[in-house]
Amino acid sequence: MIEDITKEEKFSIRWVIALKDEAEIIIQQYRMKLLSEKSVFPIFKNSEETHWLILSGIGRHNASAATLYLYEKSKAPKWTAWINIGIAGCGVGHFGDLCLVDKIINNSDGKVSFPSAMKNSPFPRMELLTTDIPIIDYTSKKLIDMEACAFYDATSKFSSRELISIVKVISDGPSNNIKNLNRSIISKLITTNISNIIKIVLYYESLSLDEYKRLKKPEIFYKICNQWHFTVSQQHQLERVLRRIATSNIKENILNLLKDCRNSKSVMNILNKQMESYEVDWRNA
Amino acid sequence: MIETIYIEKKIKDHPRTISILSKFKKARHIEIDKYGEVFNKHNQNFRIQKNNPALILAYKKEGYVLPAPEGFGIGSSKNYYFSHMYNCIYDCRYCFLQGMYSSANYVVFVNFEDFDDEIKKIIQKHPEDSLTFFSGYDCDSLALEKVTGFAKHIIPFFQKHPNVDVEFRTKSIQIEPFSLIKPMDNLVIAYSLMPDLISKSLDNKTPSILKRINAMSVLASKGWKIGLRFDPLIHGKDWKDLYTKMIIMVFNSIPVSSIHSVSFGPLRFPKQMFKDIFKLYPNEPLFLGPLLQNKGIISYSNEIEQEMTFFCKELTAKYINESQIFKCSA
Repeated sequence: MIEDITKEEKFSIRWVIALKDEAEIIIQQYRMKLLSEKSVFPIFKNSEETHWLILSGIGRHNASAATLYLYEKSKAPKWTAWINIGIAGCGVGHFGDLCLVDKIINNSDGKVSFPSAMKNSPFPRMELLTTDIPIIDYTSKKLIDMEACAFYDATSKFSSRELISIVKVISDGPSNNIKNLNRSIISKLITTNISNIIKIVLYYESLSLDEYKRLKKPEIFYKICNQWHFTVSQQHQLERVLRRIATSNIKENILNLLKDCRNSKSVMNILNKQMESYEVDWRNA
Repeated sequence: MIETIYIEKKIKDHPRTISILSKFKKARHIEIDKYGEVFNKHNQNFRIQKNNPALILAYKKEGYVLPAPEGFGIGSSKNYYFSHMYNCIYDCRYCFLQGMYSSANYVVFVNFEDFDDEIKKIIQKHPEDSLTFFSGYDCDSLALEKVTGFAKHIIPFFQKHPNVDVEFRTKSIQIEPFSLIKPMDNLVIAYSLMPDLISKSLDNKTPSILKRINAMSVLASKGWKIGLRFDPLIHGKDWKDLYTKMIIMVFNSIPVSSIHSVSFGPLRFPKQMFKDIFKLYPNEPLFLGPLLQNKGIISYSNEIEQEMTFFCKELTAKYINESQIFKCSA
């Protein structure tokens, strides 16, 4: 049985966040609930299953493992947008400023990545250094965190790079000692930025929805696949011809046309015939 | 509007880099080692990038001038192309660039002088051959002229080499590089054309057909040679009527004496490229047409291709000499 996971029209967002205090307001905002007490990493999701969030803990290895775990556990579809949000140190900017990251340097091996950032963003964009140990030398003027490069490396393996976002809130710097940070301050830093975070999420929800619409197979695809046996290669051909028929002005009932078919080959023959002599009417295109 | 400009460290102080950057005062600059770090990486989404493309300023190391594909030409014995840029500001649904790269960002190579040197070498290597060089294969040759100034740079080179031809292929109405200099016998400004109704559906973000015809008309009145490129020929309901009206309109707007050549090209995609483009834009009417697969190529049937080419060629031959009409099969 081939299942139509695209049936409900919805976007898909996955959050990877290091600390519970960073995640709390987001869990509340998107009405997420803890999935299971027994999970390797705590995972939260909302009832529509459009938002999933994982608490990764601190550090690159945790971020990488948690991202992959969430990907598997939530069966993240191809149109999923991935967001990493958290606090970061910085030699410039102000305490509490929200920034988008468009360049990441892995401090341990010097590897550089270039995430794309949201279009027409009102937020500043900055470079970020991911380190394995906390750094209090802010002279590089870059953002400093402990997870982002691992998150980006993991997500870019299974998601479009344009659907990955790294968001940081400045928490420490030359005039804000990292030692002064506590759970309450961390929580407040994210909470005071929640309206900004919502703006970013709206952008990625919209991108994700557009991708969903592009990737969604026609409903009839599943009906046909469950009635006749199609090889993987035939499924691709079937999908293409059904999409073309769906875009055309052909109004025939497709299942009716196929009712006497004995196998996938005869299904394809009938469907291909529909499009063989189709003339586009550019007046209505 | 360009929001992000990636700049290869090697050319960050190049005068052309500085000039281009000065045209985008609000853009964020990000230094990179090589353009491959941000261009054509796996898992880039062409369709999303196309909505907000970044500019990449880079140094081209090799492959400045390449032999044109078989079947691409306007009468010379040897044909070459050069691309100072990858990708295009336009978004034409039949364009192979959609399937060529996974990235929609624009790469502009700033070391124009290396193109000059390579072209010069080819000219010296083939003193007996007739040569045509094509600009605008991996990009539109003039669409980003105000930013790059490439045409302004390369035109004087061809003024010094009157025995070889150069073609600038475009959908742009940018005529500035040609308006301040004397017309050249060895330079063709070639416009891609199709019936307005079809263009409105497929030529996204381009100047309209009427505007292109107006630009051609202005250049023709100044004495420049114009190429008409009906490439690709697009099938559909009433195509004969649509192409007839367009061809008549073009020939009524431009003196025949200004027309250097006309070429017709079929709609063709390598199979994998078609799959990639179809995935990007599965609801496009272009892909509804009666397309067939033959020897790894997706195209209209031979009958349709031949009928369309023959019809348009016959129509064109009423205005110009058949020796000026070419079929592009690349």
